[in-house]
Amino acid sequence: MQRLGAQRAEPLPGHATPGSAIDARRAAPVTLAVLLGPALLIYVAFAVYPVLRTFWNSFHTIKPQGLEVFVGLANFRDLLTNDWVFWKAVGNTAIFAIVATIADVLGGLLLALCLFSGAPFTRLLRVVWFTPVLMSYVVVGIIWVWIYDYDWGLANVILRGIGLGGFEQSWLGDPRTALWSVMVTHIWKWLGFNMIIFLAALHALPTEVLGAAELDNCGWLAKFIHIIIPMLRPTIVNLLVLSFIGKMMIFDLVWIMTAGGPLWSTETVSTYVYKRAFDWNTFDLGYPSAIAVLWFLIILVFVVLMTQLLRQRARLEF
Amino acid sequence: MNAGPMVTPARLWLAYLRRSPLLVFVLLYTVVSGGPFVWVAAMSLRTTPEIFASPYALPAPLHFEKFADAWTRSNYGTYFWNSTIVVVTAVALLTIIGAMVAHALARFHFRGNRLVRFVILSGMILPPQLVILSLFQILVELQLYNTLTGLIVVYVAGHLAMTVYILEGFFAQIPQDLFDAARLDGYSDLEIFWRITLPIGTPALFTTVTLNFIILWNEFLYAVVLLTDDDKRTLPLGIMHFMGSHQLDIGMLATGLMIAIGPIILLYAFFSETMIKGMTAGAVR
Repeated sequence: MQRLGAQRAEPLPGHATPGSAIDARRAAPVTLAVLLGPALLIYVAFAVYPVLRTFWNSFHTIKPQGLEVFVGLANFRDLLTNDWVFWKAVGNTAIFAIVATIADVLGGLLLALCLFSGAPFTRLLRVVWFTPVLMSYVVVGIIWVWIYDYDWGLANVILRGIGLGGFEQSWLGDPRTALWSVMVTHIWKWLGFNMIIFLAALHALPTEVLGAAELDNCGWLAKFIHIIIPMLRPTIVNLLVLSFIGKMMIFDLVWIMTAGGPLWSTETVSTYVYKRAFDWNTFDLGYPSAIAVLWFLIILVFVVLMTQLLRQRARLEF
Repeated sequence: MNAGPMVTPARLWLAYLRRSPLLVFVLLYTVVSGGPFVWVAAMSLRTTPEIFASPYALPAPLHFEKFADAWTRSNYGTYFWNSTIVVVTAVALLTIIGAMVAHALARFHFRGNRLVRFVILSGMILPPQLVILSLFQILVELQLYNTLTGLIVVYVAGHLAMTVYILEGFFAQIPQDLFDAARLDGYSDLEIFWRITLPIGTPALFTTVTLNFIILWNEFLYAVVLLTDDDKRTLPLGIMHFMGSHQLDIGMLATGLMIAIGPIILLYAFFSETMIKGMTAGAVR
């Protein structure tokens, strides 16, 4: 309160006539310092500085007790030329990011259309469908580990129940199915999120256009392809990019359900970074930092490319 | 959708019949999305031997004592309080300093305005992996490693970007006239923030509080790297730890899961619209 008093003693405010918007938009340095100071302090110390330090670390070998040895680009060279686990992880993450992103966006659109086309109890349904989004990966992961359990898990129980017992699997234990099983769980968790965004976008569509299509006797499929999809393009692009970024960094769910196993079949770049830093007995923060830096740059390139490409096409069509 | 002037029950039924594939699908997806939580809720009230005897039966008798058991003997009480302390403090700090930054950026023209905005908002696309490795080093050096304080500060830094992004968008829409008038009335800059921006911005503040609360309550990666002691673990870590050491005690694990999702479900039952809006706020503009 002391400070507030001191602030008021300043000569300015009374002179700001209604016409001079510039004055109202100008703040005393003290005000700015008070408003921005705490945030900038924490942000620089615990976000900006760590990022810079990770870049720095990626050119070093960091042993315990803070022993740093400069190694130049050696970390990156090792990474790119003779680390097959890294490449396995890149492959898995790429499959995950591409397939799950497309499934997420298409699935979310499908669910939104179900509600938009007049299913009953819309309000209740969207609340129920959104529930998985609110749950932590730990909760979701453990539930789905149970669902995939060989002996009593729901997946196999259902298969046996409908006479398809031959297809029963150790879903997370078999390298051929593990990645896809984790992916199904991830998609399940996020479908509701995309559904909500699409639903909002659908309700924002101008009703005249849809009504005109109705008058023209336009079938629902044609309406979907020629009207709804083009008009939703900005939303679709937005969600594709957002979803893709999230999946390129996937860690929690994989770590909880399989920890990258079996046989590296679900290893993602993020779980590999974590393992190299904290789980393996290599005691070197430099090498995983190099992975993190490289991966960040790759994500950045993809995001820029995706936004440019998809936006450009939108511009060409209109 | 419009059944015409005469809406007879027969017509309604016909309309429903025509849409039955849609209804079946909708019903199916409702079971798929909500079913697992009902199942866990049922298991949380059953003992492990009961669950192994038949995993999908209803809970009878109801073992409410399992919650007391989990709370005291399995340490979930400690985890719950740790989570509460960390999340409440971090969300409070985020809301206050996030609002201060958003107010400064939305209201004032000053040197470095664009730089500050760029630096803070670029935090939205930073992968946690890029920060976490050196954060580990930094917190060890500052002796904040393995402390709740350390985790709180890290959470604040990590979620400032999204908070400022949402709040600034809202604050910028408050008419400038209001601020000019307040100035004429002799309000100081900080009083304007406190007595005009904050009250008017309450809906946006609610949104960020909800978003940050849910995300931080569920946060796993930073916590697993930055905390090691059992009595400092947050709920997600505690549950993972319990999973590791008592993998076969399904009943107790389910009770732990219910303790973790209980507060969220409870809030969701009353404030579902606010929470949906909060969680999706960053994605719609």
